[in-house]
Amino acid sequence: MNKEIEDITKDFYRLDYILNEALATSVFLLKNLGKPLLLEGNPGVGKTVLANTLAQHLNTHLIRLQCYEGLDVSTTIYEWNYQKQLLHIKLFEQEQDKKTLGKEIFGMDYVLQRPLLQSISAEKPVVLLIDEIDRADEEFEAYLLELLSDFQISIPELGTIQARSKPLVILTSNRTRELSDALRRRCLYQWVEFPTKAGEIDIIAKKLPGIEEELATQVVTFIHNLRKSSLHKPPGIAESLDWAKTLLLMNQKNITDEIVKTTIGCVLKHKDDVEFVRNKTVQEFLYPVE
Amino acid sequence: MQAVEKTFKERLIDFTMYCRERQFMLGPQETREAFEIARRGYALDRKLFQYSLKAIYCKRKEHFDRFDEMFDRFWSRYYEEQLEARQKKVKQLKKEKDVDTVIFLGTEFKIPRKQVQEEEAKQTVGANENLRLRMTDFSKVEVADKEKFEELAEELFHQMSMRFKRRLESANKGSIDIRKTIRHGISKGGLLLDLSHKRKRKEKRKVVFILDVSGSMDTYSYYLLRYILVLKKYFKSLEFFTFSTELTHITPMLRQNNELEILKAIGKNVHSWSSGTKIGDSLQEFLSVYGSKFLSQKHVVVILSDGLETGNVTVLKEAVRTIQRKCKTLVWLNPLKGMEGYQPIQKGIVNVMPHLDAFESAHNLDSLLKLEKLLMDV
Repeated sequence: MNKEIEDITKDFYRLDYILNEALATSVFLLKNLGKPLLLEGNPGVGKTVLANTLAQHLNTHLIRLQCYEGLDVSTTIYEWNYQKQLLHIKLFEQEQDKKTLGKEIFGMDYVLQRPLLQSISAEKPVVLLIDEIDRADEEFEAYLLELLSDFQISIPELGTIQARSKPLVILTSNRTRELSDALRRRCLYQWVEFPTKAGEIDIIAKKLPGIEEELATQVVTFIHNLRKSSLHKPPGIAESLDWAKTLLLMNQKNITDEIVKTTIGCVLKHKDDVEFVRNKTVQEFLYPVE
Repeated sequence: MQAVEKTFKERLIDFTMYCRERQFMLGPQETREAFEIARRGYALDRKLFQYSLKAIYCKRKEHFDRFDEMFDRFWSRYYEEQLEARQKKVKQLKKEKDVDTVIFLGTEFKIPRKQVQEEEAKQTVGANENLRLRMTDFSKVEVADKEKFEELAEELFHQMSMRFKRRLESANKGSIDIRKTIRHGISKGGLLLDLSHKRKRKEKRKVVFILDVSGSMDTYSYYLLRYILVLKKYFKSLEFFTFSTELTHITPMLRQNNELEILKAIGKNVHSWSSGTKIGDSLQEFLSVYGSKFLSQKHVVVILSDGLETGNVTVLKEAVRTIQRKCKTLVWLNPLKGMEGYQPIQKGIVNVMPHLDAFESAHNLDSLLKLEKLLMDV
């Protein structure tokens, strides 16, 4: 393995994130080529946590933009500080001519920076997380193209603002909507899978140091077999951790039918899925995963 | 920083095109980035190169799932070559250590020790550079030798084409035509300088080549293809097919005169290039679609394949038996036959052997040149 990739993997491990070689290579390329990284995968596989960990690894800030339908320029890039502009007009309308006044109130001092503009205005490179981009509208994707390819933002009154420092951009998507080819082509791509059984046991052991290996193995085996069933929402790593934490608090040594019935709510978040598991025995989910 | 070798660059472009043909969305930007990672030396580490290209070339999950297999198929040979080259270099360095250095009149001479000399003597068969390359298996041509190998292949194929031409000319000469010779002599003052021959009726030579272009034949297909292109000029009727999982009739693409253009056209039109092998099904298709047109007692059929059948062996056996019955001669050229210790024990080959008129190797330039006689006797 390349020395730098090995170092990244070790440091992420120290920060409780287990990278596989392919994902570590993508992080390495993100750092070295400076191209945005698009992470796709099922919910709960650790896409968002990766960005958090990267910021810690680089000892820099994380700027997060949570996407939703109806997201627009004023909430993502910039907005004029109207109150400040009005105040300025009131204060100086007697002293200055209209032209100078107009120029002054459309300066950078009167801009409220939103996450995207903040990320390119920072002194030191930051990690910019554009989370769940598939939830935003296609128009917003179009806004992003300029930032992702040239690391600049155009504000009609001010012109083009070049990045002071290039942010490390991570975009995540749960594939609820197909992203445009234009956006995909501007990014490195990585499909994030659920971790292997051994990997997930390792994650639980790292996050919950007091857990016994037997219980951690049972939790992971149960969850891995659940993921193979056709559920409305397969459990992610966060659900595995929540469940393991609950069982640990309840001083459980093994998973029993009784315990599954009372605590399965930590793992499954859909009524039909809960019913599905309650109608089965624990043993059906505890056979070893191949 | 590492310099990107020319051959590597070409290979990388080929890989980009290979991915593009498989619906990967790749433009100049991706190619530039691939070169950038190669320039940074990431290609020296196979896994790093694979995962880097994967992150750059894949744009959706469907690409991501297929990429590793495509990468392995395309780059395995290259990395094996690199490994062999490195091992050879280590051996070379070891050998260099086994030399005695003598300074004679201010010049340093390296004299191999006796033991090394003996080893060298055993290898004198390949001492001559050209001879060594002639004997090199197509799949084992090292990166460093590639250019020289191409030149040699070009030269040898040219010489072969001249030999064919001469043989055909002399074969077409009949007995001396006295009347014609005298008539031509009149213009030269009655001197009979050039003898005119009675023209012998040209016998139509009919050959059908069926070339395996599946993944296992990848390294051989290119040279076999070039060999066939040379032959094309000297047969009045030459039909050419390629197959792997499906059969493609190539003859219409051979009409162009430029060899490079022909190779490009074939590369573009053969979709099953480098995929699996269904020899039996492909030969059955040949029989049912083209059999009536291209099979007769005047036809010689040459199948070029390693015989590694993934389909039904009974179908293969039956197809070969039918072809052999319908044609004059059936020749099977197998690159694997040239490998040391090769035994025709693969299921495909075992079943077809009884129905072949000739079973020859076609793994290096030398073996191809030796086929001349076989083809001239057609």
